[in-house]
Amino acid sequence: MAASPPERRHRQQLRPGSRPGLLRGDERAAYLLLLPAFLGLALFRVYPILAAAAGSLYRQIFSATGPSTVFVGLGNFAVLLHDPVFWHALWVTLKLNVILNPMQVVLALLLALMVDGRSRAMGAYRVLLLVPIGVSLPVATILWRLMLDPNSGFVNALLGFVGLPHQPFYTSSGQALWSIMLIANWKGLSYWMVFVLAGLQSIPGELLEAAAIDGASGLQRLFRVTLPLLRRPLTFVLVADTVINFVMFVPMYLLTRGGPSGSTNVLMYQAYKVGFAFGDMGGALAIVTVLLAIILAVVAVQFRLLEAGRQAW
Amino acid sequence: MVSGRSGRTVGARRAGRWLGRAGLAVAYAAVALFFVVPLWWALAGSLTPLDRVFAHLAPFDLRALWPAHPTLEAYRQLFGRHAFARVLLNTAFVALATVATGLVVNGLAGFAFAVLRFRGKRVLFVIALVSAMVPAEALAIPLFQLVGQLGLLDSYAALIAPAVSNGMAVFLFRQFFAEIPVEISEAARIDGASWLTILLRLYVPLSLPVTIAAGLLLFVFQWESFLWPLIAVHSQRYTVIQIALSNLQQQHSTQWTQIFAASTLASLVPLLLLLPLQRFYVQGIVSSGVKG
Repeated sequence: MAASPPERRHRQQLRPGSRPGLLRGDERAAYLLLLPAFLGLALFRVYPILAAAAGSLYRQIFSATGPSTVFVGLGNFAVLLHDPVFWHALWVTLKLNVILNPMQVVLALLLALMVDGRSRAMGAYRVLLLVPIGVSLPVATILWRLMLDPNSGFVNALLGFVGLPHQPFYTSSGQALWSIMLIANWKGLSYWMVFVLAGLQSIPGELLEAAAIDGASGLQRLFRVTLPLLRRPLTFVLVADTVINFVMFVPMYLLTRGGPSGSTNVLMYQAYKVGFAFGDMGGALAIVTVLLAIILAVVAVQFRLLEAGRQAW
Repeated sequence: MVSGRSGRTVGARRAGRWLGRAGLAVAYAAVALFFVVPLWWALAGSLTPLDRVFAHLAPFDLRALWPAHPTLEAYRQLFGRHAFARVLLNTAFVALATVATGLVVNGLAGFAFAVLRFRGKRVLFVIALVSAMVPAEALAIPLFQLVGQLGLLDSYAALIAPAVSNGMAVFLFRQFFAEIPVEISEAARIDGASWLTILLRLYVPLSLPVTIAAGLLLFVFQWESFLWPLIAVHSQRYTVIQIALSNLQQQHSTQWTQIFAASTLASLVPLLLLLPLQRFYVQGIVSSGVKG
């Protein structure tokens, strides 16, 4: 992608800077072209991040004279520190992410290895796996709610058919989080697989052939050649997946309402409840601020990792 | 002795290879079934009379996946009692309005990043990238307050406006336009063409693949959006498909055939777009993650 040296020199000769007048006009054109997009990004993407942090310092007070907002400093965070429900929600969020994210990276890699191939049959098979990309997470959750219905669901019908006992799935605190992970995998794995597959298909075949001729076994080729070359897509998948899973909301809202007994009460669902069911926007924004801090830290680490990887090449 | 042993090894190896192949075939079939069966079951169930849906599961009967006497009753109820035509039109309007405005807005920005030199380029590009990485769910609650202050809650504008500027779409356009040699536009520039002319005459005619990829991205984002319409809109006349489905599931949780029918409809539209255009969509999402 990078321009070769002679090309680059050529470009430098053509730099508008060498022709006074052009640069200033072009710069104005650039800002004009960027204006609509950045108005939207500033208003609907950047401002809400700052507004969440600022709003977390206020609390709504409902008095005889009507609702009013008062500055409470870090008061909302102090409340969180002493709130066992918050700590439990943080624990559930971390548990979900620590189990689910590596699981999705590994399964997406396995799927990509399975469907990597240039034959027509493999192309058709890949299309089957892409079906969940067109199914929204709410639809996926509602369908799996019926699939996993403890009384008359499809999965329990199958279990009964092969003589296994029925399972409570999302209605038990022991299985609810796992049921949600199952749904997240169904909905998400093929999407993440696409990134890994693209990485796989960009590995030159000669590289693997050379390793094979040198006597490397299939597993050795996977771990010594393929995986190191997949570092970039795998890093991206892990980070993008983590960022999304940290604010997972839909399955908790549609399937478990955070239960049973708080076993699926993640931070995003807790923030929604605090804000819209309890009417405590300051408290909700304090939780959102914690989530945004985690997300921005993860994104920053990713930029570091990918930047470092680029230099290493 | 030697030949006997090697003969046994060849036989064992052949049997092993056969077993391995059978095991692999079973694994491939199981994976495909896992991904396809839920939606297939929804489609079959949406065409089955309600009492039959439960009857086919206790005990399990393959007619659960292939209705013997298909009926459109569930769809009739959806469009009759639950006004799903309105819901589908709402969602299509919101999604298409976002695509139309979003392609222009993000395309212009992508062009500027790919072709023009200006101060602050790197910082602005990083802002666009980071904004693309922060999931919409994380911003929904502060956005609710902002849109409330703007007086836009419960309107089409509340659903459309926040989704138009999309950092990922900007990025897709930038990546695509950056492949076009910049010397061509510099030559046109020296001949006195304005940047708008260069964009419209040179770049737009080449940009069908990225337009499809970014358009699908924006469309699917709006079609599948849930938390934002859940909190930003409460009038029935603005209800979009994912919310209608969630309401149906909460108010009529035993009406499985209607839930199946609504799920089928909600999935049909994106699938009919994504499957024929998957090449563009996949290229788009891949360039966001791999080339980065």
